[in-house]
Amino acid sequence: MESQTLTKAELDSVAQQKVQKLREVFADAPQIAKTALANLSQELTAHLSEPRSRMESAGRTGSRQGKVSELTLILTFAPGGARRLRALLQAQNGNFDGADKVGTLHDMRFVFLENDTKLLFATAYDGDWDAYIDDFATKIPDPMDAAFSAFEGWPGIANVQETKDWIAQHQVTAEGWYVASPDLTVAQTRKLEKVGKAVEEFLDQVG
Amino acid sequence: MSVTETFTANPSLHAPMLELSEIQATVLRIRPTPYFGSHVALRIDDPRAGRELIRRVTPHIDSAADWWEQATPWLSIAISYAGLQALGLPESSLQSFPEAFRVGMAARARELRDDGVNDPANWEPLFRDGKFHIGLSGFSGSEERWRQVMAVARQAYEGMSGVRLLAIEDFAVPDGRNSLGYKDGIDQPPVEGSGVDPLPGQGRAIKAGEFILGYPGEAGVPLPMPQPEALGRNGTFVGFRKYQSRVGAFNRFLHANGATEEERELVAAKLVGRWRSGAPLTLAPDRDDPALGADPKRNNDFEYKGDPHGRQIPFGAHIRRMNPRDTELTRLTDVNIHRLIRRGTTYGKPYDPTELSEDADQIERGAIFLFISGKAMATMEFLQQEWIDDGDFIGANGERDPIVGRQEPDATFTIPREPVRRRLRGIETFNVLRGGEYFFMPSLSALTWLGNLDG
Amino acid sequence: MASETMTRSDTEEAALAERFRKLHELYADAPEVGRVGLDKIIGDLKERVSGQQRATSAGRAGLRIGKVSELTLIADIKPAGARRMRALLDALGGNFQAADKVGTLHDMRFVFLENDTKVLFCTAYDGEWDPYIDDFATKIPDEMDVVFCNVEGWPGIRSPQIKDWIISKQHTADGWYVALPNQTVAKGRRLEKVGKAVDEFLDAVG
Repeated sequence: MESQTLTKAELDSVAQQKVQKLREVFADAPQIAKTALANLSQELTAHLSEPRSRMESAGRTGSRQGKVSELTLILTFAPGGARRLRALLQAQNGNFDGADKVGTLHDMRFVFLENDTKLLFATAYDGDWDAYIDDFATKIPDPMDAAFSAFEGWPGIANVQETKDWIAQHQVTAEGWYVASPDLTVAQTRKLEKVGKAVEEFLDQVG
Repeated sequence: MSVTETFTANPSLHAPMLELSEIQATVLRIRPTPYFGSHVALRIDDPRAGRELIRRVTPHIDSAADWWEQATPWLSIAISYAGLQALGLPESSLQSFPEAFRVGMAARARELRDDGVNDPANWEPLFRDGKFHIGLSGFSGSEERWRQVMAVARQAYEGMSGVRLLAIEDFAVPDGRNSLGYKDGIDQPPVEGSGVDPLPGQGRAIKAGEFILGYPGEAGVPLPMPQPEALGRNGTFVGFRKYQSRVGAFNRFLHANGATEEERELVAAKLVGRWRSGAPLTLAPDRDDPALGADPKRNNDFEYKGDPHGRQIPFGAHIRRMNPRDTELTRLTDVNIHRLIRRGTTYGKPYDPTELSEDADQIERGAIFLFISGKAMATMEFLQQEWIDDGDFIGANGERDPIVGRQEPDATFTIPREPVRRRLRGIETFNVLRGGEYFFMPSLSALTWLGNLDG
Repeated sequence: MASETMTRSDTEEAALAERFRKLHELYADAPEVGRVGLDKIIGDLKERVSGQQRATSAGRAGLRIGKVSELTLIADIKPAGARRMRALLDALGGNFQAADKVGTLHDMRFVFLENDTKVLFCTAYDGEWDPYIDDFATKIPDEMDVVFCNVEGWPGIRSPQIKDWIISKQHTADGWYVALPNQTVAKGRRLEKVGKAVDEFLDAVG
């Protein structure tokens, strides 16, 4: 986290400039947008002069807010890959034990696109983008290979460096990334749930 | 009992599987107690002179052959990316090294979380300008042999125009204690095929390829190796991080959280996970046990399964973070692939528990943290991100490593305890990073190869 | 995460068995690592009883597990729209006060695709699809319009056509996982407060 080195007045000024610049960029936008921007100007200025958090890089690629990062992949299916992946997802019947074990995934989606020739894989997770890929290679190589062999060019998880390169090649970094509670990791949430329960029980007894 | 005696007495000695005569001694030899030595920093201004230096010094670089019988001092040499460039290594070979190594430690500040007071902008000049090309280190168990081995080293590098001496860091540690007063370097990863069985508590032997290039790693395949094979095989990567210890701040923190010496020493032990002698809290919960601390067959022989709430060794304690062993972590983690061989050395004035002033923080003393792994850069960056700069992985959320973490204002350290945990406020950065670099430690043959690059 | 044993009917059992048979068959011509990987996990897959993580529909479109749903949208960007959108996102720097106002958005991303000709919009949110879209129109209409006006065919958030338009661009996921399906955004914020309060209490007592 960077410390604030600007004064409030300086922050306000910077914010105003940003909004002004935006209005210029939006000069050729549809009217509905120009109106909306005008309506928002004051609020936007106030908001921008007191940023809640900053979007950072999640490492080699991807964006990050506080502790939570995004990974977005557009992948091409290998021959037969789409059918295999679909069958695998259906056989799992909604069960993602592997994801639970990993412990850092907030959410994850698989979206088949363009007539089953491509897949969108999008996840929100804790930490930097490649911190645990080496661990997947030694702890969960089989589920990784069973699923990701559906895609063109998958090198096999044991080849960790090539896997990281493959992921980076297919990743598209989000230019807008929002997280409601950027400091709440999955682990911390589980811990707080227990704390919350304990507090409720305590209050029940006392009350 | 010295470590040497430990190993020669070990009946499990068996035929090693690694090419020990190719691997540099430092990779496997344990640091003796007491220990003496020097780190020599050199810069290469002329490639021909640099290669001549390598040729001169190579015959004196010790291999790991019969490393468990160590009695003699040894010399090691490691080269940074800038150093390899300065030696005239061909571009194709240079490009085969990992990116983190190529850009150097200062450029990896984001990945290493080296910010605030640890920012490279604040580093000592030696580390800032990327000219620390060669690290030549001598280790010895005696003062006399130390002088002898450094004299040999000096003959190799002195009087060569085209090779410049940047700095020499001597270390003489008769009691084997670090700059905060602890015996350190106890827990080391056991390397499969190194010739001896793991010591009690080290866990199972880890696939050699994690620490030495050219052999299979834990995932079953060798780690990426610099090319050509003659250069990469039996080599490894070394990280060098120099820390300045703020002894005054450390002592003030103990005083703020302990009214008696007994209380203070308990706080000190809870921060590290061991008492000053090295005895782990798990085996010595109430007071230090120096005999235990001094015995390598006992001082590391423990697990965490009997301590699931961190009431013996806190989750955030330094040794539990650096090697969680069987601790149940919040993330799927294979601890065996995040280990480092450590050859740290202490420098400067020894620890003094009575030093409380802010001036004491300025005294030149601290630790040179030397760490070795086939993927040292990636491992260090993982450790800094996941196990040092944060505590989410182990249930110490929002806290950082108490010994090497860079602390924010009003940082805390939690000591789990019945009925209510103790949360110590205002823990400061006790070890400030003064600089560092990533190095490649070539095999003996690779050194010959490098010395003869021009044919 | 404890799994609950669910009793399955005979037809369910037969259907599952058929799925596994088909799965094994399909992997016959998979790349080696895939085939080997599947063989190693298939026994485990068969044993595990699912149910808790089974996704249902989030309403008109999208999947939902527990309380948390997904919305995935891909739309064409107008000429010059990318420039405006990028400038806006850059200025905001990840501060989407609008999203805070809605209060049900766990996460949200904007990704430019295909040389800035398309935009991918992915969110995870609490509840059902319809009220979610309604929320946007009532709570943050200007914020929605200023961003999405850059997208082809955007009728305006207050338009009666808006839901049909969104449906036409939405891709319901084929697989959806949520670590904490009963954790709403509101609950998360509450938990953070409780955690802080407990810490302060324990500090005082300890």
